[in-house]
Amino acid sequence: MTLLVIEDEPKTGDYLLRGLTESGFAVRLARTGRDGLFIAREDEIDLVVLDVMLPRMDGWQVLAALRADPATEQIPVLFLTARDDVQDRVRGLELGADDYLVKPFAFVELVARIRTLLRRGPVREDERIVIGDMDIDVPRRRVRRAGTAIALTAQEFALLHLLAKRRGQVLSRALIASQVWDMNFDSDTNVIDAAVRRLRRKIDDPFERKLIHTRRGMGYVCDEDEAP
Amino acid sequence: MTLPARDSLTVRVTAAFVLAVALVASSLGIWLYHAFTGEIARRDDIALLGKLRQVQMLLGRPDAADLVRTQPDIFRDTMSGQENSLVRIVAGSGAVLADVNALGARYPMPHAVSTAPGPDAIAGWLDARGTPGRVVAGTARLGGQPVTVVVARLYGDRTALFALYRRRIAWAAAGGALAAAVLAALLLRRGLAPLRAIAAHAALVQPATLAQRLDVAAVPAELRPLIDAFNAMLARLQDGYARLSGFSADLAHEFRTPVANLLGQSQVMLAQPRSAAEYETLLASNIEELERLARMIESMLFLARAGGDEVVLERRPLAARAELGKVADFFEGMAEERGLRIACTGDATVAADPALLRRALANLVSNAVRHAAPDSVIVLHAQALDGGACLSVTNAGEPIAPQHLPHIFERFYRADPARGDAHGATGLGLSIVRAIMDLHGGTAGVRCGATGTTFTLAFPAPPSAGPGPAA
Repeated sequence: MTLLVIEDEPKTGDYLLRGLTESGFAVRLARTGRDGLFIAREDEIDLVVLDVMLPRMDGWQVLAALRADPATEQIPVLFLTARDDVQDRVRGLELGADDYLVKPFAFVELVARIRTLLRRGPVREDERIVIGDMDIDVPRRRVRRAGTAIALTAQEFALLHLLAKRRGQVLSRALIASQVWDMNFDSDTNVIDAAVRRLRRKIDDPFERKLIHTRRGMGYVCDEDEAP
Repeated sequence: MTLPARDSLTVRVTAAFVLAVALVASSLGIWLYHAFTGEIARRDDIALLGKLRQVQMLLGRPDAADLVRTQPDIFRDTMSGQENSLVRIVAGSGAVLADVNALGARYPMPHAVSTAPGPDAIAGWLDARGTPGRVVAGTARLGGQPVTVVVARLYGDRTALFALYRRRIAWAAAGGALAAAVLAALLLRRGLAPLRAIAAHAALVQPATLAQRLDVAAVPAELRPLIDAFNAMLARLQDGYARLSGFSADLAHEFRTPVANLLGQSQVMLAQPRSAAEYETLLASNIEELERLARMIESMLFLARAGGDEVVLERRPLAARAELGKVADFFEGMAEERGLRIACTGDATVAADPALLRRALANLVSNAVRHAAPDSVIVLHAQALDGGACLSVTNAGEPIAPQHLPHIFERFYRADPARGDAHGATGLGLSIVRAIMDLHGGTAGVRCGATGTTFTLAFPAPPSAGPGPAA
């Protein structure tokens, strides 16, 4: 999967390049809109991460040019904006962007959004998820570990299901709050921590091998091994 | 004056005033002139008729016929000193018996109708030089024979007097108008002095001098509403400005703590070689501070947009109990860890934007969980109220001191300054609650009892009853 990042701010561009590469993507970085358009036309690009505030040719113009060219019109575009007003977002989506993030954003949030966009299309939810000795039966809402049934509340199950289906991905607290409780604002971080602690008491505490891991400063990840 | 004439109140009012004075003065002058000249003319006519009677009486004397024939000058004598008076006596045959006409003027001969004609019989005429005259004729008998006596007069002197009188009236009217103009301009200048004082004061208003007010007692009654409005505006500006500058100071202060932490701990860590684990700890700690800053920025932007009415409300009827339940679920884990329980009671339909309602409730419940007495119950209650709904969040615990209550919804206001905690609280939660209620046209309130604190959200009835809510 090759991503094209169009970002003029040097530090932002550098950390996006590094972070996305380390997350397993091939990344091309363009510092101007013109360079970005050139790369998008010449190379095989799977997704564009586009900063709106570019000098000279701004993000909107780049987006319009991408959508106007048959060679690039199908590439999903995620735009980054520092201006969180409704007009800006509506404009981006009207011009054909697929998603957006408002700066400052959590890096794991960006990775999660990119993965979602690349997965586009009919997403078939697994009915059964197996991670290590944990076995989740999604339609029946049953969880077993090492053959032992674990009783979970509806909220706990929703949280575990989210972590398990995004196995190996770090999920930010904001994403968890939004997906599990439909709380779409930056709320008290302690709330998510407490909810995860509750879940861990049932899923991990009785067992030696832990499945839910904390990524300090980023969020939570569910996987067999703790290695990042 | 450098003001464009059309925009100057002084010029406009002066012009109108001059016009009015000129109109009144000239009307008055014209009326006086006509009254005066009419009266003079009437008196002259009476004098003319008197002259006719005098000549008739003279002709009635027994020796009149001789006198006319031999001494026509006797008539001139009657007219002595009056060269403008003309007399002609004409016999029935048409022969002119006597003609006193020192000026040799030619005047018309009116028909004599009676011995004693009235003022109606007097006719006007003009001599060769255009001097106006009057003429009247009457019948008489001279030695038994009927004769016609014609008496005329030229009024050259009178015409000159009238012309002088006209000129004087015109001058008086013009002078009056001019005096009115000067007086009006002067009076207006004086009258508008309070306005200039207001303008001068307004020109001096600076952010630092917003506390000054204009003196209402010093201005005319008509200007008092203006001064009151001006002072009220100053008061509002002062209040807004004070809040804004206080807010900026608070904001800078609130930013200072996380920035100082970031700077300090990063510099301390870099001063010595450290293990990877220590660097990781530093970065994670930095992320916590940065997240706090990011939350603060997000909250600030939300408040700024809510204040500027840039937030689009998606208001729809919601089951309040269900919304309370969602928020209770969200906080359940956190409450449990502190030995708290969250209970939902009552129900109502509330017209609100679901995301904003949840945000307001979450902020209140977050506060409640943080301040509730251990092992107590937090009660989320909903009830219908005046067509709208009232939602409340009650927690047991130490009540908030009464002096803090009026300020509790202000930005960065903390009842306990030492309690500015590092656990996500930005000091903006309650001001966001109030902003959300303002957007809904509702109110946020707080009351404290001996046993605990209750925050209330009063939502008004939906703006229009419109098509019924979805089932």
